This record gives sequence, C-alpha cells and structure tokens, in this order.
Amino acid sequence: MLKKIALLAAVLGLGLMSACALVSTEASFARTHPQELPNGRPTCSECHGTEAVKSTQKTFASLNHTAAFAKDHKVQATQDAATCATCHAQSFCSDCHGGKTVMPASTKLGNRPDRVSPHRGGYLTMHRIEGKIDPTGCFKCHGRANNEKCSACHR
Amino acid sequence: MKHRNHLALLAALVSATASAQDITVYSTTMAQTWKTDTPGFEKKEYAPVTEFLGIDATKLGYDALSLHLYGWGRTDMKEASGFGDKKTNGDLTFGYLQYDFDKANAQIKAGRIVAAGTTGNEQLDGVFARTDLKGGFAISAFGGTPVIYKNMGILPQRDIGFQRNFIAGARLSYRIPRTGEIGLSYLQDGSNAAYQLNTSTPRTVDYTRRQVGVDIALTPVAAFDLSGRTVLDMANHPEDGYDHKKVAEQDFRATIRLAENLSATGGYTQRNFYSYYAGATLPSLFNQKEMGTYTATNGAVTWAPMANLSFTADLRHTKREVYGTTTRTGLEGRLNVPKAGLVFGGSYHKSIAFKVKTVDSLTPAYSLSHSEMRGWMMYEKGAFSASLDAIRLHFSDSALNPALNGKAIQSAIVGSLGYQAAKSLKLSGDIGVEDTSLYKKQVMGLLRAEYRFGFALKGGK
Repeated sequence: MLKKIALLAAVLGLGLMSACALVSTEASFARTHPQELPNGRPTCSECHGTEAVKSTQKTFASLNHTAAFAKDHKVQATQDAATCATCHAQSFCSDCHGGKTVMPASTKLGNRPDRVSPHRGGYLTMHRIEGKIDPTGCFKCHGRANNEKCSACHR
Repeated sequence: MKHRNHLALLAALVSATASAQDITVYSTTMAQTWKTDTPGFEKKEYAPVTEFLGIDATKLGYDALSLHLYGWGRTDMKEASGFGDKKTNGDLTFGYLQYDFDKANAQIKAGRIVAAGTTGNEQLDGVFARTDLKGGFAISAFGGTPVIYKNMGILPQRDIGFQRNFIAGARLSYRIPRTGEIGLSYLQDGSNAAYQLNTSTPRTVDYTRRQVGVDIALTPVAAFDLSGRTVLDMANHPEDGYDHKKVAEQDFRATIRLAENLSATGGYTQRNFYSYYAGATLPSLFNQKEMGTYTATNGAVTWAPMANLSFTADLRHTKREVYGTTTRTGLEGRLNVPKAGLVFGGSYHKSIAFKVKTVDSLTPAYSLSHSEMRGWMMYEKGAFSASLDAIRLHFSDSALNPALNGKAIQSAIVGSLGYQAAKSLKLSGDIGVEDTSLYKKQVMGLLRAEYRFGFALKGGK
C-alpha cells in the first residue's frame, strides 16, 4: 500500500513539475485600464493605433466597439476575457447574459437607450414573430436553463 | 443547490470582504408599478420592488485575491409579477473568489461562476482555472455542478437534475504570432443517461450535452479581422432512423476597415436544429426533432463622416428550412454632442418575411413582414440626466396574424429623468407607455436608486 502511495506521489510530483515547466513566464495582462474611459463606445485603435494587444496577438482595432461588435462578441468573450475585464466588471455582462433573470434588460436599463438591450417595444408580441423567423436566437439565452418563464406558456 | 447552502456560501463570501483593502459596492433598487388590461382577462395591478446588489472586493490579504458577488431579489407589493403565486424571488448570479497570478495570465476562480471559455455561457457552482503556456499555447478548464432552474409545467424536473449532475469543460488554444488565435474546446453537461433513471416508464428525452468547439480569431493586419466558431454535437442520441448532422453551429464574421472612418462587416451563420438543440430542457419549444437548418448571411457598413457621427447600414438574409426566407434591411445613426451633453440615435429596419401556413382553410397563411422605427436621445449635464426612447412597429398582415389581434401598429415610449444626488447616489424615474396588440394602452412607472461606493475604475459605462 505504502509503495503504491509513494509511486502515485512520485508520478503526481513529476507531472506537476513538468506542467510547471510548461507555464509561460511572461508577466500577466494589466488588471485595469490605466485611464477611465469617456462615455460611449470606445474605439481602441484611436489611441493604440495598429499595435497588437499584449500577449493576445490581435490588434486593438479588432476590439473596437463598433455596432457589429456590440451585437456579436462571443468569440472575443471566449478568447479575451482578461482584455474585457480591464474595463468591464463581470456584472456588466450579467445585465444581459443572466441565467435567471427578473426583468428584460431594456427595462433595467430604461435610462440607457444607447446600450444594446434585448426585448424593447412590447416584446411579448414581437417574440411570437421573431421566434418563428429565428428560434435559435431565443435558445441562446433561454433554452438551456432559464425556462421558467418560457414554460409558463410553452408546455 | 439548496437555499441553506446558498446562504452559507453567501455568508462565507461576504465575511471574506472584511479583510479587503478595496471594496466596490453597487446597488440598484427599482420600484415598478403597472396595470394590465387584457381583453378577456381580469384587470391586474403589479408593484414589484427589485434589488440588484454587487460587491467587488480586491486585495483580500493578498494583492491578487479578490471576491466578486452579484445577485438580485424581488418582492411583490401587489399581484405576483412572476409566474405562479410566489411573491418573492431571487438569485445569486455569481459569487466567487478569484486569484490572479502575476505571470502567464494565470487565474483561479471558485464558487458560483460564469464560464464562457468553451462552446457556451455556462453558470455553475465549481472551479475555473486558466494559464498561458510556453510557445503561445494556453489552457483553461472548469468543472462543478450546473445551475439548473425550476421548469414549470409538465417537464420532469427530476429527470433534468438527474441527468445534468455534473458539468465540465476545457479549452486549449494557440496564439499565432502577430496573427491571432485558434482554440479547441470540449464541454460535457451531465454524465447520467436517461435510461439509468429508476422509473417505471422509460425516458426517451436526453438532457445531457457533449460538444466540441473550434474557435478562431485572425487579425493578420489592422485593416482586417476574421472571427468565428464551429460547434459539433458529440452526444449519442437515440437511433431514430434519420441521418443527423453533427455540426450544431457555424458562425463566422469578417471585418474590413477600408478607411479610418469606414468599415464593412460580413457574416455567415448556420445552425442545425437537431444538434443545436441537443440537451434542451424545453423540447416542446426548442424542438430538436425539427429536421431543419437555420442559415443567415449578413453584412453591415459603418461610416463615420465626423468624429461624433456614425451611420450603419445593415442587411440580414435568413432562411429557416421548414418555413422560408426573411430579408431585413435598415439604417441606424448616432450623433454625440459632448459639449451639450447630448447623444442622439435613430434607426429604421424593414423585414420582408415568409408566410406561415395554417391548418385553417379560411386563413391559409399569414405574413410575418414588418417594419421598425426607433429614435432615442440622452442628456447628461451636471447632476441632471434625461433620456427618451421611442419605438414603432408596423405589421403588414395584422388581419390574419393571430399574434396581432388585428392591430397593425404597435408602439412604446420610455422617458427617464435622473438626478445625481451625491457622488455615490443617483436617483432616476422612468415612465413607459406601451400600446401593443396584447394589452390595451399600458402605463408603467419605475423609480430607480443607484448606489455605488468604491474606487475601482471598472463597471462598464
């Protein structure tokens, strides 16, 4: 038994040392943006030009918050969460991407019409039309877990 | 997770903030009121009070250790505003301890976390870790218990809980020098199969998910970028005689910056219902058995003739295999006047959609075509702020579309006034008027108190 434990400890120790040797020695990305940014959608390349974001190998221009970026940023969120986190707290994401929500984002942010908030303008009617055109759009937020509201009508 | 476990977790996490050197507390309290007057239904009056509370506490003993909490609670002063008769509700959206290493962008999170590192946006009680490796590689992984919400109606909640007993995911990526990144990820949601349930009736619905994803982002030059992902459904589904596609989703987007003030974006999306809806907990709505595909091609051109003025023209052509095609085109603009503290926005979109066939011989089909017009403005000067947001929808087939109750035009307007009472306290009030096909004219009032204490720069203005 002791031999087995010693062997396991040796294997784990060697594995850990090998894994540590693989870890990059580069300094981590800054945790916060050094300056507070003004209101509105930031254009990163305005200040950073054509340079690449440190350690991500992508240009700052690819993170410019254009209208297209505001509507679709899932790849950036998957790949560059540390870059997003320099300006955005996690709660910023939760304004729209909540698992269990209490009100539509457009109600919560009723005083922020500049933000892209889902479900504006009498959505109970509109979701019956938009859901037929593209039901996969509903599934992204409501399909996997947050079904309490959907299943009240859709049984 | 049971309520008492929630409370114990919350108490432990909140007590950890006592040793924090920097704390940011943000709270939004909202009191709403509205009445519903739906033809054929009893008139009702609602007055829910909702509290959103978040805490970010950093330097908990060590510089790199931080705590992040966010959740909401609601109580109804009049009718129950949720579903069922429950007049209180709440949720811990996330609550975790985080340790950031000085090197390799290494990070560990533990608690209730949101993990977006694989094929979706997963909420779980568990652990997440990531680190950069030598040679441009990086690895991340998470594991724990998935957060599952109550399903009302006839859905077998016990079956979902049994099958989704565990969630884990991992992603390995490679950063191509000065070009971009490519990632390979795996997600498994649930380890028990439906047939393992000890019930007298064999269950045929499989709620587990197993997915493999490939994501890519390439920016070889500042003027061009390409990003997207492919998700494959790897679950073993019951044999039903059909040859199902393994590709759940393909979604790609490319952007070309033609000039400093002109850029064009184009994208392509394809989702196969059977594999995309694998593991859906609401199969009656997200119908995995629908043998079809949804595809979309889209494009947008953004032009900024001046620093504070931009226009975006967009087009989206979609096809749902069993129904038909829809083309949505439109234009939107934004004007920022910083000296006056004003921002204006407006848009117009028209959707030419397919007709939905019905079994009723009197109304054999109805169109989903409609147009949408929206205008908004924001004002902020000194302690005062104001906003106005109006939207108008015009439906082309109100007579036959059963969702519209014969109403061709639907509109909503929301006005808001705000006052920064102190550096950390902002008060605002919204009035909304909706004239929809579901309700008669409906007026909604909302009072909002936003409290923010702390020094952190983050928050996402």
